[in-house]
Amino acid sequence: MSRRQLAEAVGVNHQTIGYLERGDYKPSLELALKIARHFGVAVEMVFSLDRFPMTFGRKGEGG
Amino acid sequence: MTRSHRSILSRLDDAVRWTGIPARVADPLVDGKHQPLRWVPLLLIALSCLQLVVCFIWPQEMERLSLATLVALMPAMVLGIGTGVVVVYMSGPLGKPSREDDEREAALRKDSLLFCLGLLAALNGLGQPILLIMSQWQNWQTGHGAMVVISALILNATLLGTLPTLYASWSFRRLPKE
Repeated sequence: MSRRQLAEAVGVNHQTIGYLERGDYKPSLELALKIARHFGVAVEMVFSLDRFPMTFGRKGEGG
Repeated sequence: MTRSHRSILSRLDDAVRWTGIPARVADPLVDGKHQPLRWVPLLLIALSCLQLVVCFIWPQEMERLSLATLVALMPAMVLGIGTGVVVVYMSGPLGKPSREDDEREAALRKDSLLFCLGLLAALNGLGQPILLIMSQWQNWQTGHGAMVVISALILNATLLGTLPTLYASWSFRRLPKE
C-alpha cells in the first residue's frame, strides 16, 4: 500500500503518512485509531512508546 | 455559477491558482524539485531591515523628507500589513485548520504562528524602549521619528507575513521515496 492510498483512506495528506513512518510526527489519538482500524489491528500493533524491532531497512527507522 | 456572478473571493481564488503556487505545494515533496520557500521571505526581511537601518544611517536626509514622501510610503506599508494579514489569517486563522489542512499541517501552522508572534513580541519589547532612548539621545526631529516608526511598522508587517513560512521551511524534512 502506498502512502497516498493510506492517506486517502484515513483522510490526511500523504506527506503526513511519510512523516509518521519516519517518526517525525506523533499522530493524534483519532488518526492513530483510524490507521489501526484501516489495517484491522489494535492500535498497539501500529504505534508504540518504544521503537519496534527492525526486520528490514536502516537501523533506527521504525513506525 | 457563471463568470459574471462569481464573488470577489472566488476571483481571488482563481488569481491565486493562476500563480501556480497551490499546484506546486500540492506536488509530492519526494521528487527533488520542491524547494522549501526560504529565500523570498529572507529577501523581504532583509529589505525591511535595510529600510530601517537607512533611517538610522542618514538621519539628516530623513529629516528633509516631506509629508509627500511619507504618504508615498504608505502604500508599501499597507501592502506589507495586508500581505501579512492575508497570509496569516486567510490561510488558517491562528492555528485553526484551513479546509485542506490535515492535523499535522494545522499543528505546523499553529507552531509557526506562535513562533512568529513570540519573536515579534520579544523584538518589539526590546526595540521600542531602544527607539525611545535613541530618539531622546539623538534628539530626533518629527520627520525622522516618523520615518523610523513607519519603517518599524513595515518590518513588523514583513515579519508577520514571512516568519511563519520561514519556520515551516526550517522544520521541513525531505521525505525519502517510497
